[in-house]
Amino acid sequence: MDRPMIWAIAAFEIRNSFRRLSTYVYFALFFTMAFLMFIAAAGAFPSVNLGLGSGGKVMANSPFLLHTFISALSYYGLLVIAAVMGHRAYQDFLHNTYPLFFTSPITKFQYLAGRFVAANVTLLVVFSSICLGCLAGSWWPFVDETLIGPNQLVSYIRPFFVSVLPNVLFIGALFFGLAALGRRIMPVYVSAVILFVSYLIAASLAQDVENKFVAGLIDPFGNYALKHLTQYWTIAEQNTLLVPLTGVYLLNRVLWLGVGATILVFTYYRFRFAQGGEDTRQTTDSEENAIKSTDIELPTAPSVRSNALRLLPRLIWLEFRSTVKSIAFLLIALCGVVFIFVSAQSTEKMYGTATYPVTSLVVELAGGTFGLFMLIIVTVYSGQMVWREREAGMGQLCDVLPVPTWLPFASKLLALMLVQTLLLTLVMLTGIFFQAQQGYFHFELGVYLQDLFGIKLIDYCLLCVLAVVVQTVVNHKYLGHFVMVLYYLGSTFMYRFGFEHHLYHFPSYPAYTYSDMNGFGHFVQPLVWFDLYWATFAVLLAIGGNLMWVRGLDIRITRRLSSALDRFSWRLRTTAAIGLTAFALIGGFIFYNTNILNEYRTRFDSEVRSANYEKNYKQYEKSPQPRITSVRAEVDVFPDERRLRARGTYDILNKTDEPISTVFVNLPTAVNVHQLTIGSVKEPNAVDERAGFYTFKLLQPMDPGAALVLEFDLEFWRLGFTNSNSDTRLVYNGTFFHSGNLPHIGYSSAGELADDTTRRKHGLQPKARMADVNDIAARQNNCITQDADWITFEATVSTSPDQIAIAPGSLVKEWTEDGRRYFSYKSDSPVLNFFSFLSARYEVRRDRWNDVDIEIYYHKGHEYNLDRMVKGIKRSLDYFTTNFSPYQHRQARIVEFPRYERFAQSFPNTIPYSEGVGFIARVDPQDDKDIDYPFYGTAHEIAHQWWGHQVVVGNVQGATMLSETLAQYSALMVMKKEYGEEKMKRFLRYELDRYLMGRAKERKKEMPLVLVENQPYIHYQKGSLVMYALQDYIGEANLNQALSDFLERVAFQEPPYTISLELLEHIRKATPADYQYVLKDMFETITLFDNRTVSASFAETGTGEYEVHLQVASKKLRADELGVEKEIAVNDLIDIGVLDKDGNFLYLKKHRIQGNEFDIVVSVPQIPAKAGIDPLNKLIDRKPGDNVIRVDG
Amino acid sequence: MKLTIQNLSKRYRSGVQALNDVSLTISTGMFGLLGPNGAGKSTLMRTIATLQEADTGTIVLDDLDVLKEKDEVRKLLGYLPQEFGLYPKVTAWRMLDHFATLKGIAPARRRREVVSQLLEKCNLYEVRNQQLGGFSGGMKQRFGIALALLGEPKLIIVDEPTAGLDPEERVRFHNLLSEIGENIIVILSTHIVTDVSDLCGQMAIIHLGEVILMGEPLGLAADLQRLVWKKVITKDELPQYYEEYQVISTRLLAGRLLIHVYNQQQPDASFDEVIPDLQDLYFSAIKQHEAARLQSA
Repeated sequence: MDRPMIWAIAAFEIRNSFRRLSTYVYFALFFTMAFLMFIAAAGAFPSVNLGLGSGGKVMANSPFLLHTFISALSYYGLLVIAAVMGHRAYQDFLHNTYPLFFTSPITKFQYLAGRFVAANVTLLVVFSSICLGCLAGSWWPFVDETLIGPNQLVSYIRPFFVSVLPNVLFIGALFFGLAALGRRIMPVYVSAVILFVSYLIAASLAQDVENKFVAGLIDPFGNYALKHLTQYWTIAEQNTLLVPLTGVYLLNRVLWLGVGATILVFTYYRFRFAQGGEDTRQTTDSEENAIKSTDIELPTAPSVRSNALRLLPRLIWLEFRSTVKSIAFLLIALCGVVFIFVSAQSTEKMYGTATYPVTSLVVELAGGTFGLFMLIIVTVYSGQMVWREREAGMGQLCDVLPVPTWLPFASKLLALMLVQTLLLTLVMLTGIFFQAQQGYFHFELGVYLQDLFGIKLIDYCLLCVLAVVVQTVVNHKYLGHFVMVLYYLGSTFMYRFGFEHHLYHFPSYPAYTYSDMNGFGHFVQPLVWFDLYWATFAVLLAIGGNLMWVRGLDIRITRRLSSALDRFSWRLRTTAAIGLTAFALIGGFIFYNTNILNEYRTRFDSEVRSANYEKNYKQYEKSPQPRITSVRAEVDVFPDERRLRARGTYDILNKTDEPISTVFVNLPTAVNVHQLTIGSVKEPNAVDERAGFYTFKLLQPMDPGAALVLEFDLEFWRLGFTNSNSDTRLVYNGTFFHSGNLPHIGYSSAGELADDTTRRKHGLQPKARMADVNDIAARQNNCITQDADWITFEATVSTSPDQIAIAPGSLVKEWTEDGRRYFSYKSDSPVLNFFSFLSARYEVRRDRWNDVDIEIYYHKGHEYNLDRMVKGIKRSLDYFTTNFSPYQHRQARIVEFPRYERFAQSFPNTIPYSEGVGFIARVDPQDDKDIDYPFYGTAHEIAHQWWGHQVVVGNVQGATMLSETLAQYSALMVMKKEYGEEKMKRFLRYELDRYLMGRAKERKKEMPLVLVENQPYIHYQKGSLVMYALQDYIGEANLNQALSDFLERVAFQEPPYTISLELLEHIRKATPADYQYVLKDMFETITLFDNRTVSASFAETGTGEYEVHLQVASKKLRADELGVEKEIAVNDLIDIGVLDKDGNFLYLKKHRIQGNEFDIVVSVPQIPAKAGIDPLNKLIDRKPGDNVIRVDG
Repeated sequence: MKLTIQNLSKRYRSGVQALNDVSLTISTGMFGLLGPNGAGKSTLMRTIATLQEADTGTIVLDDLDVLKEKDEVRKLLGYLPQEFGLYPKVTAWRMLDHFATLKGIAPARRRREVVSQLLEKCNLYEVRNQQLGGFSGGMKQRFGIALALLGEPKLIIVDEPTAGLDPEERVRFHNLLSEIGENIIVILSTHIVTDVSDLCGQMAIIHLGEVILMGEPLGLAADLQRLVWKKVITKDELPQYYEEYQVISTRLLAGRLLIHVYNQQQPDASFDEVIPDLQDLYFSAIKQHEAARLQSA
């Protein structure tokens, strides 16, 4: 009996929903989005860069990408689910039709189930458009066909059932229940926000290796479960495997479907199939009221047009109060605060170690994470405010009041802005509270106020204008919300489609970064101009909104326009005209700055430029060029003007065996060339300023061995401001000027487009990432610079009197002249043509190690980790001089620079170190999980003085193994010595995770370590793992000896430069025969393990010992460059370990493991708690978590 | 005070001709606008109340152009819409005080006086601190009148104010209205005939967007003397009577039908004379108007 009735109810609702325009709009919208994004991912638009999924070698229609893609698009459907589900459950309360339904002969179950089923059917039809859109996209002919693989229908269908369907059921159940039980729609939207917050919390948790599983469970959409499940998938797996419903993904789906089912059951039991609540009329009208008192005079107070300006504050306050008092508002704000806290706990960490919550970071984080909630509040409450009177049925009462039309408009707008002020105050208090809770009490109120109220508040106020005007003009609350969501989507994605100018992106401006060193610095000027620009625009918008404000009942657009024209008084016209003029003038001024004084270049333009450089000048790559043998430079830094003048002389030498008649010089663009001469050639013969390519025809060819002098006088001066990529080389405090900005000789392949897909877009052939390891011609160049080998370096740097200027080399002389400070530096040993000039108001921390001066130039206030850095330098110098070779300089300097870039880089004896890396790290010595990364990072950079500045590698495959991998290894050893082996496990666990993630994101092909092609996940992360395991296998001293021998042979060598294979030979010689096989596994191939312990038990032997029986399984896999894995036989020496209950090893020894399953028996002196294979995760294991298990008694 | 409406027309986008060449002159006192649902009463009221535009025609209040000088009109206007809501969580006092502020009644002391007087007047003083959400229909309607009375209006428009009120509330409401409508213009629209006959000195009947009758209710009804006849019949006979006579109303009476017919003389002896009231006037006017339109169509 139940069934047909449910179907009848459902069918009625379904028919209704397919008569609603909105259903078709949703369908069309998702279909279009899916279609466009799919063909964009398949390379249909040359200027579009979606950055979705892997790209490169992963097909746009690969099962993995489709799964990710269809799921991700469906998350945007949250609002649609809210609208459809909410409406189905709420419609009878909205239209007061519920008494009719509740009194008809249907059961509660039929009523609820019918509605729920109907809403689900509608939603599933709507969301099927995503799959259909993708499918349609795959048939679109105008795509890059190398990005489309064979189509498999199941790849489109599976995500729908695994991801979309469960989400619709769970989220739908939640919304349905809330709307049905609450008999209101607001709880639905609030819970949508809460769902979204849990998603964000999952996102922030997932940043830490140890929380990924939890993140995968609590993400209600299942995205982080999907990510966790597929995080290590290689290109081949992404292209071929259907995402299985297993592991955390399965758990997630089951968990949330269970929650959904529970909600439905709860809803069923709690839903009252009756009049809602008590009768709201509590007031009774007493009988005596019936007799009216006629003796009361009517009040005599004529209504006048009162001073509207005096009414304004009162109205603002009224709107403000009614907003902030609403429960929904409080809940959303609370969600925001909670989210700030959660994300603050887990971001800004390196290797799981936190940084100090300095105000600039907290402001950035709190302001940024809360931003989304601000958008939600602006969107929702602009609608609430605009519709407040009308929804309460008071529209007509209010419209006939003798107040000017602008009054309600202005009061609502200003109230919404006041709400923003309140929220930002909340953000500030949350930030301060967070800092205090972290035990950090240096609250920089100025930074809070400037950032939140000087910058962000203006953004939000501008956004309020837009939101209120949209609500006014559209005159339909939900359509207004929808328009705003479209606007947000548009402003998020327009950059990807090549619309990058801020002049047409309300209310954006060039991105800014606050740095403790440089404050808001040069970012202030564009900010002020853009704010003015958008403020005038907002005034115009507001005038328009005011004119279109609906007063009365005529909502026909023609009527509204004609009444707008009536309202457009001369005063308003004048204001609008002035506003429009100001808008145009300011816009013009901005345009002058961004496009005329500076160059406006989109990402696509830059690609075109690189492509053109290659197309025009690649022909000269092989033509013989002289090399720089010495650099003498005079560099004057004018920090206040953001100006730098660089004069200099290069000695250039023809080291080739042919005469050279043409010399090519590269300069950066946007430079003022006062002089550029080679020998007697005073002017370049051809100048291509856009490419920065200057051609000199020598009057007399340079014979082999002949020398010439290149002289230059360049001026770098930032005039005005740019639309993006604000120049951070020259700033008020913290100049960091790299030698790459000075003239370079010969064609430079460094700027060529690297990504093959991008190259194809620009009509270029795919290119090899690096030259073959045995390419002897390529080995003539080192991997740092192509126009020099070893040089002598001298530089005099001047700066303003309050700053210190630094360049590599020994400080020879320091003086003051004409109110400027001068510093003269000179290299003590041959160095690479690789240096930088820095200038800032520094404090200096000095120390000594033997005869080496240790200097740390830091920003006042950043003293936190100076001791760790000094210690890092000392321990490193100790270890490296003992084990490798002597240090070639007389100083070791660390120089802080603003956090516009986040790296540390090793120049000869000088290491610029970003303020964002290490200087504000907060290492808790009590917490044995914390990794002292200022110490570690310092050790890594110091190690580069050996691996990079003594050993210089040829510019071929494997180059970075000799620089980065060896620097990683050296730093690991210093850290191991200082902190012990225990700490290393956690560090390596992070490295393993990042390696496996890195190879999943590979765009071309994964290389074995010895042939690494500048792939960070290989030379850093795999390098760490491999070298750490290697020293464990063959012994640290043994390995160091090999390195030292290698150093002795190749340090400071002239071309051809050494290569990774030469080091490998040294290592091979030092490796015992038993372990020779690991060199192949580690360096020459991509080898992975799947080790796990199947069972473990122990028994007392009676002699006080315990016998542990282990059954372990080992699988060894060889992967090809795309990640296709092949199992190979195991015959390896692998650690077997037994731990006591405190995690100390009772037993740790290598056993030869043969075959897939292996039984082992070992004896330990105490009760064992855990045991397993490769317990320290020395081997690269895709599932490192199952190596050790509990030992049963 | 005189409100003159001339040749006012309004057609909605749906094609409905809501007002068709309406001309009316309304002077001080209560003016009743009578018409069935959908006659165009509300459209006319809203247009006078500055909430809607007309397609053609003028409305002049003394020398104010109502359609153009809206702001000036709003100072003189008190308006009670047919349907309205109130913020449920706000008390009567605060709501009225708020509106008083918006009507420019200052200073606060004066405003307090006005608000309390008005609440007293509308018998809401005792419930002044209760939330509006708890008000009954009648109380809400009286509160609406209090709102309309704020600021000494010269023109009060009340749109179907008694719809949905119980008889007692209606009486109270009528008393309130009759008291204020002495020196100012009060326009009351309704489809309930007795509202008009009880309260209004002047009236107009509006049907299908057109004014079909205008004058004093008593005089107009008197004009029907010896033109309306009644008879009790059975239900089955009704079609036959419709055929033969101009039936202007039917009413059930003890299971049979009492019909009123319009006829120049007594149709036959079975018909009795009726002393015509406004009801008869109303129904006959509408019937005649419909018949006329049918003919012309």
